Amino acid sequence: MPSPYDTLIRTPNPYQPRSARIVRITPLVKDNVLFQFRFEDEEFSREFSYKPGQFVELSIFGVGECPISISSSPTRKGFLELCVRRAGRVTNALYQLKENDLVGIRGPYGNGFPVAAMENKNLLLIAGGLGMAPIRSLLNYALDNRSDFHDVILMYGARDPGEVLFRNELETIRHRDDIKCLLTVDEASSEWDGYTGVVTELFKEVKLDAAATYAAVCGPPIVYKFVLKELLAQGFSKNHILMSLERKMKCGVGKCGHCSIGYKYTCIDGPIFTYWDAMNLRELI
Amino acid sequence: MAKPKVGIYGLTSCAGDQLVLVNCEDELLDIVGALDLKSFVMGQSINDECELDIALVEGVVANQHDKETLEDIRSRSALLIALGTCAVWGGVPASKNEVSRAEFQKAVYGTETTGHEELITPLPLSHFVPVDFRISGCPIEKEELVGSIASLLHGDIPVLTNIPVCTECKMAENICQMVDLNNICLGPVTLAGCQARCPGHNRPCVGCRGPIEEANFASEYTLLLEKGFTSSEVINRMRIFAYPCEGLQAQVEKIENE
Amino acid sequence: MKVLTLSKKNATPFFEALKSFGKTYGPVEKGEKAYSFQPVESFSQLALDYKRTILPLKKFFYKPCQPVFHFNKDSGYQPAEEDLEEKIVLFGVHPCDINALNILDLVNSGPYVDNYYFVKRQNNLIIGISCMPDELCFCRSMSTDFAETGFDLFLSDIGDSYVVRVGTGIGDDMVNAVPDLFSPIDEESSRAYKDSSNERSAMFQRYIELSDLPEIMDLEFHSELWEKLGERCLACGSCSMICPTCNCYNIIDKLNLDQKTGERIRQWDSCLFKDFAEVSGGHNFRSKRASRVQQRYLHKQQGFVEQYGRPSCVGCGRCTMVCPAKIDIVEILHTIRGERNHRRRKSDRRR
Repeated sequence: MPSPYDTLIRTPNPYQPRSARIVRITPLVKDNVLFQFRFEDEEFSREFSYKPGQFVELSIFGVGECPISISSSPTRKGFLELCVRRAGRVTNALYQLKENDLVGIRGPYGNGFPVAAMENKNLLLIAGGLGMAPIRSLLNYALDNRSDFHDVILMYGARDPGEVLFRNELETIRHRDDIKCLLTVDEASSEWDGYTGVVTELFKEVKLDAAATYAAVCGPPIVYKFVLKELLAQGFSKNHILMSLERKMKCGVGKCGHCSIGYKYTCIDGPIFTYWDAMNLRELI
Repeated sequence: MAKPKVGIYGLTSCAGDQLVLVNCEDELLDIVGALDLKSFVMGQSINDECELDIALVEGVVANQHDKETLEDIRSRSALLIALGTCAVWGGVPASKNEVSRAEFQKAVYGTETTGHEELITPLPLSHFVPVDFRISGCPIEKEELVGSIASLLHGDIPVLTNIPVCTECKMAENICQMVDLNNICLGPVTLAGCQARCPGHNRPCVGCRGPIEEANFASEYTLLLEKGFTSSEVINRMRIFAYPCEGLQAQVEKIENE
Repeated sequence: MKVLTLSKKNATPFFEALKSFGKTYGPVEKGEKAYSFQPVESFSQLALDYKRTILPLKKFFYKPCQPVFHFNKDSGYQPAEEDLEEKIVLFGVHPCDINALNILDLVNSGPYVDNYYFVKRQNNLIIGISCMPDELCFCRSMSTDFAETGFDLFLSDIGDSYVVRVGTGIGDDMVNAVPDLFSPIDEESSRAYKDSSNERSAMFQRYIELSDLPEIMDLEFHSELWEKLGERCLACGSCSMICPTCNCYNIIDKLNLDQKTGERIRQWDSCLFKDFAEVSGGHNFRSKRASRVQQRYLHKQQGFVEQYGRPSCVGCGRCTMVCPAKIDIVEILHTIRGERNHRRRKSDRRR
């Protein structure tokens, strides 16, 4: 008689990294580079799909593994883009690699944004600083499925023009009339033609129908602090405020315990949390 | 990639950490083959004191000559690695640092000056020059040395264990020296990496690998006193290997002020 | 469930018969009053009156430190193969430890399956044994003093013989390998079993009230108790290592000198360590020891309940036994509940 564990041991190894090649390296701002990867296994590459807001575990040979949120949109097949901040050992080692070098990638992990539930609603995307990395995935997803959503608004704040991620792309998007793309910096330079001031100032520029809108927010703690307050003042339900939160996600599959908060594992129950979840998870924000 | 230019040095010490390298019998040829070993007085007869990619330095600075040697090594090395508990924490030479060197010389030689070079209160390397990386241990563990060299060759800063001895001791399923046998065991405050060698041989941990980050000396001290040990028994044990450690000195000063 | 009796004088031949099912391990004495599961050759080596082993059974299913991948610069990451053939028989496992494995089964399955764990699990046979609680046991409060599932055979000591419950088909095979050693259950052994069960019930000295504990932990989130524990805790990691359900691990890549090959290993980890929740770039989500101690208790007694419907603690008493700082989970839970008249443990708890 087969033991009850028979089927369990035949499931795919969740820790198996897949070989992926660096296709393109695009420096964005200081210590932030966009890496484009393609899986070596063509069939796997074709079938690899994910949701905006999910992340992968990136392995650098001989160095280790770290979680990185996905910056590309699943609507654009065949490659995967990660906007990587140089922050630790693994990312430092990645920065030493060149185009055509191999890395290991496993995933996608995490819940991602609930894109199906967001259909036929307005999208308000709010990013602060490096928070634009995961928001870009959702932004491009919405642009590629434009008819699925009503109004799409992006509010993005950075410290200064030199710190604006994906600036070229955003400049192009700014001229589209099917999206409102509002960029602001704390300290403008002479060439800057966007807004000046903190990201919450941008709320003055738009009229929001809170009941028919999902807000997706990602940024440093200070951004959450002020943006959340503003969204509540605008009448947003806490369930319609989605936040992408960082924790030490090590295994990515809810086993190793490093990203545990209360009864949630950031790696499987997150990294996208509603404000309601976040409020009920002590220590989350 | 060109082989990194490496120098291996010893200041005031027992040379035990350099000996670990020499004792890497199985890996020695691979190590020496992978490095451009410019200076290693213990291991080779022709040495070149040139610009270095990596300097491994054992021992404490205990006299003016040590200090000058260290400063010279630092000035020509891209990376400086402290090798062993003396270099990292001060080790045994620093265990009685509150006693002046003159007093020691008088006790040993009967005279306050011996005519030898000027002595300095022994302190770890980081007190004198910036240190890029630390491999602790008395002596260092061979696996950590070899693993560190592998990472450095690959261009990465090595990652060494930073868990306490208790953790490795439990992994090895040893009987607890502190709880079961009521010994002064420094396992809870000491950096592992030794696979809890001493408790594995039924000896309490003496702290030879130096303190873990945020070691809770205050609690360890209180608990050992509760077991009936005297304050000086506990403090003397704690200070053998890492007296210059800030957290430990703060604890000692606190006790002395009470 | 099939229930039989095995006379103690037949225990030795039964033990010998088990050897055809795999390598036998059981509790043996290690030093004075300490025990460990080790390979056992004969029934007489077993210390079946043991209270608890230093390490729980998790050491058989995921080792303190084990390779998960071998990597090679050219061929990528090859899973470290587990031996699919090596069968082992764990003889003399207490109900709390059996229940702990049932909990680890939950954690390691789910949407992602940890196959390294289950390969080991499927190759293990478990023969449980009844026990009498000592002054540290509180398994009754955790509903883990009795094993309903998770064993192939379970032996309950009724004096001159064991009442044997057969839990699986393989357990039945074990019985059928030496059928003459077993007898059907009779009135006398049934009575002896009940007497022993009642005697055991009366011996429990420690209780905690689980009802609404998650809510109380929520109310006491800012209790100064956590700060006090943070001051006492040595963050030595002992409690996590010896906990039968603590399953946190770290992943470390070890590169060989050749720069081409190496291993990705995983090693038991503890949420009490300073860098447990520290992310790249240096931000630490639980930089204070007090918050880490709190996380440990919250996850076991509150978070796990929300996730799986029961605490992950099985009341084995190991963490109280090993803590050099004498941090005692039962006392903490009594304190947090504001109970003043709970039974205190004896001052000399180990002798």
